[in-house]
Parts: sequence; structure tokens; C-alpha cells
Amino acid sequence: MIKIVKRDQPSKAIFFFTPVLAIFLTLVAGGLIFFILGFKPFEALKFFFIIPIADKYGFSELLLKATPLCLIAIGLSFCFKSNNWNIGAEGQLTFGAIVSGGVALLFYEQEGFYILPIVILAGAIGGMLYASIPAILKTYFNTNEILVSLMLVYVSKLILDYLVVGPWSNPEGFNFPETRQFSDSAKLPLLFEGLRIHAGIFLALAAVVISWFVFYKTYLGFQMKVSGFSLKTAKYAGYKGKKMIILVFLISGACAGLAGVGEITGPIGQLHREISPDYGFTAIIVAFLGRLHPVGIIFASLVVAITYLGAETAQIFMQIPKYTGQVFQGMILFFLLASDYLLFFKIKFIGSKK
Amino acid sequence: MNTNLKISNVTKIYPGCVANDNVSLEFNSGKIYALLGENGAGKSTLVKILSGVIIPDEGKIYLNENNLNLNSPSDAKKNDIGMVFQHFNLFETLSVFENLIIDSDEQRESLREKIDLIMKKYNFPIDLDIPVLNLSAGQKQKVEIIRCLIRNPKVLIMDEPTSVLTEQETSELFLSLKKFSEEGILIIYITHKLKEVMKLCDEVAVMRRGKLVSVSEIKNENIESLANKMVGQNLKTIKKKKAKTSSDQLIKITNLNFTSDDPFETNLMDINFSVNRGECLGIAGISGNGQSELFQVLSGEIISEKKSIEFNNNYIGDLNPQERREYLMAFSPEDRLEQAAIPQMKIFENVALNNFKSSNFFNNGLINENKIKEHSKKIISDFNVNTDNIELKSQFLSGGNLQKLIIGRELITSPDLLICFNPTWGLDVGAINYIHETLIKINDQNKSIILISTDTDELLKLSDKISVIHKGKLSKIMNAEEVTSEKLGILMGGAN
Repeated sequence: MIKIVKRDQPSKAIFFFTPVLAIFLTLVAGGLIFFILGFKPFEALKFFFIIPIADKYGFSELLLKATPLCLIAIGLSFCFKSNNWNIGAEGQLTFGAIVSGGVALLFYEQEGFYILPIVILAGAIGGMLYASIPAILKTYFNTNEILVSLMLVYVSKLILDYLVVGPWSNPEGFNFPETRQFSDSAKLPLLFEGLRIHAGIFLALAAVVISWFVFYKTYLGFQMKVSGFSLKTAKYAGYKGKKMIILVFLISGACAGLAGVGEITGPIGQLHREISPDYGFTAIIVAFLGRLHPVGIIFASLVVAITYLGAETAQIFMQIPKYTGQVFQGMILFFLLASDYLLFFKIKFIGSKK
Repeated sequence: MNTNLKISNVTKIYPGCVANDNVSLEFNSGKIYALLGENGAGKSTLVKILSGVIIPDEGKIYLNENNLNLNSPSDAKKNDIGMVFQHFNLFETLSVFENLIIDSDEQRESLREKIDLIMKKYNFPIDLDIPVLNLSAGQKQKVEIIRCLIRNPKVLIMDEPTSVLTEQETSELFLSLKKFSEEGILIIYITHKLKEVMKLCDEVAVMRRGKLVSVSEIKNENIESLANKMVGQNLKTIKKKKAKTSSDQLIKITNLNFTSDDPFETNLMDINFSVNRGECLGIAGISGNGQSELFQVLSGEIISEKKSIEFNNNYIGDLNPQERREYLMAFSPEDRLEQAAIPQMKIFENVALNNFKSSNFFNNGLINENKIKEHSKKIISDFNVNTDNIELKSQFLSGGNLQKLIIGRELITSPDLLICFNPTWGLDVGAINYIHETLIKINDQNKSIILISTDTDELLKLSDKISVIHKGKLSKIMNAEEVTSEKLGILMGGAN
């Protein structure tokens, strides 16, 4: 007989085990789906998860995809840890990309070491500006940040659309919806000849270290932790709630904005309509899969990045749509939420009664 | 017809706690039974088993020799067991009648007749067509009772029914219960209030730590004997020394108002009072009459007009709790687990919630963990918190130990004024005694207390002056020696 018993306390081990369990269940369910579609499950999973990263190029692609995911997820964890539900990182990424792209276009055909830092900074500021909208509306007008931040995603995408087909479109571009290529001085340097992995990865790593320090060593981190557990307690302790809401949104927006910069000044090198395959949304899954812990987020971003690559390989070799990647991302979140049940309950197998 | 209810060898085990340890009891109709015990003694678990909310690990329930299988509350209803819980299960925005028919399959018209009959018979004058929202606590309880009576119950269980009632409403309730009993309904009355047991019941069963310790007739017991059975030790009674009369004013509240946007909160109207050094001002009242709002206004969780609060010759009405602490105020909120402390955090982290500039818990924005831990160890030893592990998550502290930690955290900085709200709510007698002694001690040190409490005995024991809050208004402030619990009861009910 199986009995479900409430746990006294979620153990540390279970806390980090359930994400692993969720990934395992995703693989099983994914295999099942492939089987139903008429593929050999193990072979399909191999195409999806192993082939894409089997060579140097594949591994570079993995890091390339993981970089924005990690950066955004780190930013989001500032919000999520303190009970602020910023769902609009995709919008902040887009707006950061617009601002930094605009600056990069200003320096078109110019060279100089100072250009790249300005472009990066502009992206961070753009993301912060865009994240400040839901934050200010929440603190001063009591609006729901989930709705506001989510809806602003579509606003920013439409702004980008307008800019790349209208005022910013490449005059020599035969009316393609894209801007000019940025000058080399406005692009993040590549780390290796022939691979696409670029210096943006250092931004992500810096964010990991800084966030770890803030979460566990500073008063701000402590206040975020308290607010995350109980807003009533935070109020009773006298923490300045409004200031904190705005601060975490700004941090989160800056990270998303930087991720946007990384995309357009790295692999893309210009602004066009599709600058992000929904990194901003997928990063929400990454943040939770990584348990809002900086190190966890590194691993989670790598795991989720594979689904992007796997989807492309599967599309090429198995002729299935690349949206399968999103199916896998969805399943990871689904199984993570489901296996979190184990945090609070344990399953006991007991022998039949005498 | 006679009703016989038998509980046979019931055991219910929760992780880390045996809530009911092989409990056997027998009840017969015609009598009113008291089930007495401290919070956590296991009486609530036992009645939840009787009402089908909890399924016991072992043991059986018999009603008139029939073995009952109570797997859900509806099973209990089918078997004519009615239950009125401590917290009302009513839909506030629905009318009284809608609340009554909600779980009944009878025709509306016939049910209405039946309800009218019940109300006439027991003298329950309630308008059936107004929303429950507009009823007093006593009336809401009557609605709950009527809901049980519709089903002609053989057994009626009342769980701590008087915790929200005034003295007058309590007397009315007792009259009704006696009437039900005369009509053959078996009544089981759960409480930890000894006076009520003596006044109402015929037989008393005492529980302690999940075990049944005694069953006896009321006529063979008195308050002291029952208290000792309940606690399992001889209680020392604490008496407060008569206060030194001080005229040195510490805090003064002037024309303080608070209007809430939330319809479930109480507005505060024109609050005026002052507290001198070394004094304890008690604020009595039935819960939900503005105590929580008053506490929040005093602590700074709700900001008010700057000049409405004068503390130590400073106007502080517009300061937040942290800023008020710098002026040497301390606060102990009612809700230990959701406000005063965070159960998932470690003890020393909870200590850091009360943060002063001079305590140096956080230097230049960084956590100074050593300082916090040092401070925590001092609190634990000075305030008898029963653990030596400050890394322990505070959810593993008992209610009493957690409250000692909270009071200790607030007091170790020797504030001039402590504002506490139901500081002993839900604690065992040992912890209550400790907290009371501590509160008396700080008065002796010429520090002041504002004690907001729903426990009249506690207020009479600790206060020098008492006021009553009713619907957000304070009564005039009285000297504690001139006040009796009856007088407080009348004021709590809203009379002058």
C-alpha cells in the first residue's frame, strides 16, 4: 500500500533532487511522445540531447544559448525571491536591445574602444527603464505587475517591428525588415575563431557571482528573503517595501536588457524582428528549475539551452517542427511543479496490514 | 430516546506528536459534557475525529452501539452528529437563509417554516434575509447552531464557542445549551476555560498531551483541581504589585483616526489616550473590533498623521516601525507565525528582524552574522528559550518558546515601551506564566506596556489602567482596580 505523508521539513537534498527528477520525467515523457510519433525513442532523444552538443561547435552553441537564459534568470530571481512576479523579461530584453541597437546605429561606420561599453550600458538602461514601468505602477497605483509586465512585452515587440520596417530600416536593405549591420566596434568580441560564442558569457558569469553575494551576504538580500516569505513580516520589520520593489525590478530589467545587448551585438549584429526566441519567457523556467539559486541557475540554463539546440537538430534530421523544443520546456516546468509536491509530502510504501 | 456515544481506543499520530493516545470515553444524553484541556492537548483532534474531518489511525466510534465509519464531515451529518466550530464556516456575503439551505436538500418553503419554528422555540431572533456580514459574532454562532438543529442532531459538539462572545452572549448560549440538553441532545463542550465548565457542565473529561487524564463529575471538582489536572502541576499564581504612581508621560495619542479601504477591516475613530512611565495600559475587546488596526497604527505598519502620536516628546506618527524602534519602542504582534517571525528561517535570522542602528547587525549593507549570532545566544539564555541551537529553523520551536524568542528579541534592547497584542494566545500555562512574569518585570523597571488582548483575565492581572475597544472606538480609561470582568463584558458588547 502506498501512503502519502506530510513532511516535517523539506530537506535540502530533496530541494535539489526534484529538479533532477523533473528533467528525468521530461526525458521519459519526451521519449514516449517520440514513440507515439513513430520514432525510436532512444534515437530521437539522442538527436535531441546528445548530437547537438557532441562537437566543439555544438558546445559553443550551447553556451551561446545558455548565456542570455542565465543572465535573465539571475535577474528574475531578484524579483521572484522578493515576491515580485516580473513576467515581462522578454519585453525588457527587447527594449534593452532597441536602446542599445539605436546607440550602436548612431556609431555606424565609426571605430573606437569606447563604443562597445556605451552600447552595453545603453542596453542595461533600456531594460531598467522598461522594467521600471510595472514597478512604478505597482508601488504607486497598486496594479498587478504580472499583467503589466506581460502586456508590455507585446508593446516592445511592436515598437521593434515599427523601427525595423520604418525609421531604422537599412536604406540599402531592399526593404527587408532589418537595420544596418553594426560596426565591429559595437560588437562583442568572439572568444574563438570560427565559433559564435562571444564575450557576453562574462556578463552572465559576473551576474552569477554578484547575485550570489547580494543574496547571501547583504542586507538587501536579507530583506528580499524576508519579503519573499512574508510581506507582513517585512512591513513589521520596517523595510521600505516600495524602494525594494523598484530596485529588484531595475536589477531584473538591467539583466534582461544586457541579454538583449548580447544577442544583437553578438551573433546577430543588427536589429531585426526576431532577436529573441522567447528567451525572456524561457528564463522563468530556468529560474525556477535552478531554484532561484545562482549556481542552480547555471545548470538549469545549460539544460534548457539544449532544448533549443535539440529542436533544431530534430527539425533537420527527423523533420519534426522546432516547436518540439517548447514542448520540452513546457514539460520541464510541468514536471518540476508536480515533483515539488515531494517537497512537502513523502510517499511511504507500507506492507499490507496484518 | 437515549443517545449513547462511545469513543473506543482512538489513536491519532502526527509526525512528531501523538495527538490522541488511546482515548476512550462514553457520553450519554441528558448531560452536558466538558472536554477540557490546554491548547495542543488533543481535544480539537478528538472532536475533528467525531465530526469526520480527521480519520483516526486506530479506534472506533459507536453511536447507540452502532459502529460509525466517519470518513468525511457528511458522514457525521448523516449520523446525526452536529458540530459548531470555533471559526465560523459561513459565507459572509450570502444571506442567513442562503447559508442555512446551502447543504440541505429540503424544499425552501418547508425549510423556512422549520427554521422559523426553531428560532421561535429557542428564542433566536435573527433576520433570515440580511447578509451574514451584518451579524454580530453571537448571532453568527446562532446561525451555525440552527444549521445543526435543522438536521435534528442527536449529538451537538461545540468547539470553544465563547472565544468570540461577550459575557452576555455567553450566558444566552449557556441557556440554549441547557435547553437542548433537556430535550435529549447530547452536548459535548470543548473549552480551556474553567469557569465555563463549572457553570455549564455536568461531567468533565480532562485531556493532557493527547491522553485522557480524568473523567469526573463537576460536583466533585473545583477550579483549582481542574486547573491542576489540566496542567499536570501545581500552578503558582502571579500577582502584580501595585504600580508606583508615576506622572511622567511617555506616549500620548491625540485624535488618531484610521479609515481603511478594506471592508473587512475596522476603522479607528478618534483614539485618545496616554501612558505614563512604568504603567501598563490594557486594551480589552472582542477580536475584530479594531485591535489589529490599532496595533498596526501604534507600530507604524500603518502610518498616521505626524502629530497624532507623541512619544518621549517627539512626534512620530509618520515613522515606520524601524524608525520607531530607534526611539526605543518595541512591538510584539499577534501572529507569531506569519508576522512576528518567519518559521522557515533560522532563529538568528529571526532575531535580525528587530534591527537597530546601534546593534550593528548590518554594516554598510553587509550582514554581520557573528554579531547577530552573539546577540541571539544572549536572548536565548536571558529569556529561557528552550534550545541551544540558534541555527535551528524557528518552526521547530514550540509556540511558547517562539513567543519567548520574540519577546526577548523585542526586550533585549531595553525599550521604553512594549506594545504587545495577544502575547499569550495559544500558549501553555507554563509559557503564559513566564510571559506574564516578564511583562510585570519590565513595568517594575519603569518601562511601559500597551497590552492589547482578548483575554480578560490576563488584562485584569497585568494592567494598571484598562480601556475597551469596540467598533474602532475606545471607551474611557479606567483604573484596573475598579474594573470587573462583568463590567468589561458589558463594554465589550458595546454598551456604555
